[in-house]
Amino acid sequence: MTDTSLGIHIECVSKSFDDILAVDALDLEIRKGEFVSILGPSGCGKTTLLRMLAGLEQPSKGTISIDGAVVNDLPPSKRNIAMVFQTYALYPHMTVAANIEYPLKKRRTPKADRTRLVHEVAAVLQLEQLLQRKPRELSGGQQQRVALGRALVRDPAVFLLDEPLSNLDAKLRAHMRAELILLHRRIGRTMVYVTHDQLEAMTMSDRIAVICDGRLQQFEAPNDVYSRPRNKFVAGFIGTPSMNLIEGRLSGAGDDRVFRSGDWTLPIRGLALTGDAENGIADLPVTVGFRPEDILLGNTGDEARVTVVEPAGHEVIVVCRFHGHEIFLRVSPDTRLRPDDRVRLTPRVDKLHVFAEPDGRRINDDFPK
Amino acid sequence: MAMRKKGSHKILYSIFGWTVVLLISFPLLWMILTSLKPQSELFLIPPSLLPSEITFEHYVRLIHETPFLTYLKNSIILAVGTTVVVVVIATLGAHSLVRFSYPGRKSLAVLVLYTYLLPSVVLIIPLYLLMVKVGLSNTLVSLIIAYTTFALPFALWLLRSFMAAIPADLEAAAMIDGATRMQAFFDVILPQAIPGIISTALFTAILAWNEYLFAMVLINNDEVRPLTTGIMSMLVSSFNIEWSLLMAASVMMSVPLIIVFAFLQKYLTRGFGAGAIKG
Amino acid sequence: MIVTRKRLSLDAKYSILGAILIAPTILVFCTIIVYPLIAAIYLSLFSIYTPTMEGQWVGFDNYAQLLASGEFWRSLLNNIIWTAGTLSLQLVFGILVALMLHQNMLFRSLARSLILFPYFLSTVVAVLIWRWMFNDLYGVLNHLLMWAGILDMPVDWLGSMPNAMVSLIFIGAWKYFPFVVIVVLARLQSIPESLYEAATMDGAGRFARFIDITLPQLKDVLIVIILLRTIWDFKEFDLIYLLTGGGPIISTQTLPLMVYREAFALNQMGNASAVAVLMMLIMLVFMTLYLRKTED
Repeated sequence: MTDTSLGIHIECVSKSFDDILAVDALDLEIRKGEFVSILGPSGCGKTTLLRMLAGLEQPSKGTISIDGAVVNDLPPSKRNIAMVFQTYALYPHMTVAANIEYPLKKRRTPKADRTRLVHEVAAVLQLEQLLQRKPRELSGGQQQRVALGRALVRDPAVFLLDEPLSNLDAKLRAHMRAELILLHRRIGRTMVYVTHDQLEAMTMSDRIAVICDGRLQQFEAPNDVYSRPRNKFVAGFIGTPSMNLIEGRLSGAGDDRVFRSGDWTLPIRGLALTGDAENGIADLPVTVGFRPEDILLGNTGDEARVTVVEPAGHEVIVVCRFHGHEIFLRVSPDTRLRPDDRVRLTPRVDKLHVFAEPDGRRINDDFPK
Repeated sequence: MAMRKKGSHKILYSIFGWTVVLLISFPLLWMILTSLKPQSELFLIPPSLLPSEITFEHYVRLIHETPFLTYLKNSIILAVGTTVVVVVIATLGAHSLVRFSYPGRKSLAVLVLYTYLLPSVVLIIPLYLLMVKVGLSNTLVSLIIAYTTFALPFALWLLRSFMAAIPADLEAAAMIDGATRMQAFFDVILPQAIPGIISTALFTAILAWNEYLFAMVLINNDEVRPLTTGIMSMLVSSFNIEWSLLMAASVMMSVPLIIVFAFLQKYLTRGFGAGAIKG
Repeated sequence: MIVTRKRLSLDAKYSILGAILIAPTILVFCTIIVYPLIAAIYLSLFSIYTPTMEGQWVGFDNYAQLLASGEFWRSLLNNIIWTAGTLSLQLVFGILVALMLHQNMLFRSLARSLILFPYFLSTVVAVLIWRWMFNDLYGVLNHLLMWAGILDMPVDWLGSMPNAMVSLIFIGAWKYFPFVVIVVLARLQSIPESLYEAATMDGAGRFARFIDITLPQLKDVLIVIILLRTIWDFKEFDLIYLLTGGGPIISTQTLPLMVYREAFALNQMGNASAVAVLMMLIMLVFMTLYLRKTED
């Protein structure tokens, strides 16, 4: 049976800087060996959270435990964690070998072991040729591997990664994403990965913790976050192009239920909703959301005017003007559409998301019991 | 065609520029020229521009017939002593100001700026009294302590901006890698701060080497006098002002400066840039 | 009885370490800056005979006498003339020479070294050189100017007015303008070339580029330079003391010199301290007003 005290427990943690509340009563439980992404826009508090895990900041309230022990007052050096910084933070005056060796030196590992471990890690990360170079002589990708090596060499319980790929060009980023996934599979250690790039979070994580304004929005597996976002923020943040969101009002019940926004009327039958919406309370303010790939193009629905067509090779993104709103559609590459064409479209009701206003909470009744 | 025009522009401009430079450094050149002229030539009316022959007789007399070497020794002790004390205190202090937080930290930074207001004349009187009371009057140690007072604020200010430019991530990485804060300071921060420390050390050393007022008030024993007051006392003591000796002494006193300029100039200019601009 | 000691949080431990690191600095400040400051204020309330350091309480009499005396106001005036004069020259020469060095010229780094030299030269050496050059019989300056036909007779540069003040201002400018040069030059070199390129594409000529791009970029640096140089020039002692001693009589005596004279020539330690305190108040007022004005 798994010992649930292992892993990382973040209990009701808040952090304020002077008057600014960066992290607000966050509860998060990360299982041992899990790869968790902390995802959110700039300034949402994700880096602050990571730094609290590392011990570089102290929580104003709440406790953080790693493998059963409360670490609030433990200095970073004693937490058995390693961190890869966005800027790599390699020691400029030391060679690559000395950089990787540094944590072992601090632990007073004997010299022979140090040399062996450094070479092992260098072999895994293909850094053997670079061991005597200084960081400034390396490319971005190479520096990043050295930063990884420095983290790997002491086999910590937890890896913290602060947007490590954001300084790399697109191709290298894709390559390193795959490398990191493989690495996690190999060593099986807990990895906490901070990013603002939802593609990275989606492709790499076991679970994603979506954060906005210091508060946890959702903490589930990528597919769940994508198909069952808990609120409007998560729905709009995950997925590129983002989900189309339209405000309006919901009225009626059962087969008569209908969504109205401006001059657009959308009958919503057969979609299970919770609470007031299900009971047919009239005139509920809601926002409906539908992803670009969940739109039916063709013979049914109201008219839209194509404004921009973006061919992206494997698919085409079409932007339309629909009842005064800007709608994004994802269509197959052999679609022949041009700006100013008129089309008819309607969102798939079975894939519709409904969010209550004003709190933005998703009220579809499809969460697993 | 354009290339040739640019080339001649550059030469014309260089001539203009160098005229200005020579005008400004004329006094220095005159100092050197005077020190190399034979005694007889010194008092020609009108004075000769270039020496008819180069002689080092004044330098020899300076070393053999005056307490110049004693003064030199004292100045060296002063400069080195002050620099070591100031750099150590200021480095630790700057690190504290930049990377730690405790109540009153921000007010300290402002306070440092306001200490610039203190004229040395205000400080010498109580300092003099303090030194007498402690029994340190007429010693080089009293001067080192005194120089620390006005060298420290500037050194702190300089080092603070140098050390603020060192990425905070480096210290964080070291701490995560297993270092205590002080270990991180010695292993990672200090090596990065070396250019800044050299700049600060140079400024402090030059300050101590050139200082006059405190040396005048706190020391009146010829054995302990540094070059500044020593040379001025040579001016005052004789009825005949020995300008040749004085010029030779001036050149000798400026030699360390010349060496610093020849090899370490970039540290001085970097010090100005960092300290003044980042304010 | 069990006594539980409250463990210090990590934040608190770090704060303590930080305080320990700054402690030597604070120690220096307190004993060697704060103490003399308070001592000066204290001493100014007494009438003290310097050699014996014995005196009696006079309260604010020293201040009253000073403010009523012509000498104080004369010294203050001299201080202002000296500071304003040398500062203006420092700024003008400094900016011009910085602009000059910013362009490409042969042996540029050597030129820069020579320009910097006066600033780092000992005041003693500077004074000796200039006094030698000013010498009425053998000084090169008089002879060059007479040879060039600008003068008929040797001029007494330091012994009469207004020559003494003018010479002072000029020598002060010579010695300290490299500070302006270096700071301005560093700033000039950090202005991105792309700004000038964009302006050129918009059709701006050389002068327009200077006014619209260079000057605004220099503004914030000039504010700092003016503040620093004003303070440092205002409290300058060595240069003036060694060149003119405040003479002729007190026509070039500035406040720092007055402090020294009262303390060590007239043996009035109390008076000297009072002048010093007044001087600091003046600078404090200036600095506060200046900072406030430049903050908005």
